Amino acid sequence: MGALSRTLDATFFALSDPKRRGILDRLGRGPATLTELAGPSGLTLNGIKKHVGILEFAGLVETEKVGRVRECRLGRATTLGEAGEWIEAHRRTWEARLDRFGRFIERAP
Amino acid sequence: MSRELRYERLVQASPVRVFDLFTSPAGQREFYGNDAPGWVVDSRCEVRVGGAWEITFGPSPGELYRHLHIFEAIERPRRLLLATTETRPDGSRFTFSTEFTFAPRDGATLMTMVQWGFPSDELRDEHGRGVPHAFDRLERAL
Repeated sequence: MGALSRTLDATFFALSDPKRRGILDRLGRGPATLTELAGPSGLTLNGIKKHVGILEFAGLVETEKVGRVRECRLGRATTLGEAGEWIEAHRRTWEARLDRFGRFIERAP
Repeated sequence: MSRELRYERLVQASPVRVFDLFTSPAGQREFYGNDAPGWVVDSRCEVRVGGAWEITFGPSPGELYRHLHIFEAIERPRRLLLATTETRPDGSRFTFSTEFTFAPRDGATLMTMVQWGFPSDELRDEHGRGVPHAFDRLERAL
């Protein structure tokens, strides 16, 4: 069983908030500035900055200063691949537990 | 609908026997066992609704994982529902739910384990379309 890395913890934490998932959903349709993200979300610019910062820390979003605005786009999402690998390792561990328990039942008195 | 991890095994014993062995100290230790030399398993369990099954396991005393299961439903010999907190050696933790069912099937027992509550639930349900490539990768891994 592999321990969750800090990166993976950051990914799960970033995805735990519906507003941040909404930001990812929006960025899935293309890059947007912080102001454009704030508009439909009902969040203040500072609120959006905070959420984007958490997503950026997890590697899910990248930002770049373009002229006078900061543009956001989806990150390369390698952390999502890591999350998938973790889930798969979790599944294998529990599969092994069931196999072992099944063998135990068959030989138990 | 949330994403589930589902596991099934056909066990050659009656549901009562499977249920009782699964909730016995020997069965619980075996479930978390491992043939690796030095593997540690320490299990303490109070089988009642609201009771705790606390199990510590790992490759060595210096690298131990801990599962704290709380029994939310016990319906012998048909069903168990557990709320679990996993604590890893680095101190980080996460929670999830597990339901075990034990159904008669041709003289044996179909033992089914379903887990849910992982962050990937929301990830798939709400954003699979918006972030297609990355979420497709995760979906394949599930």
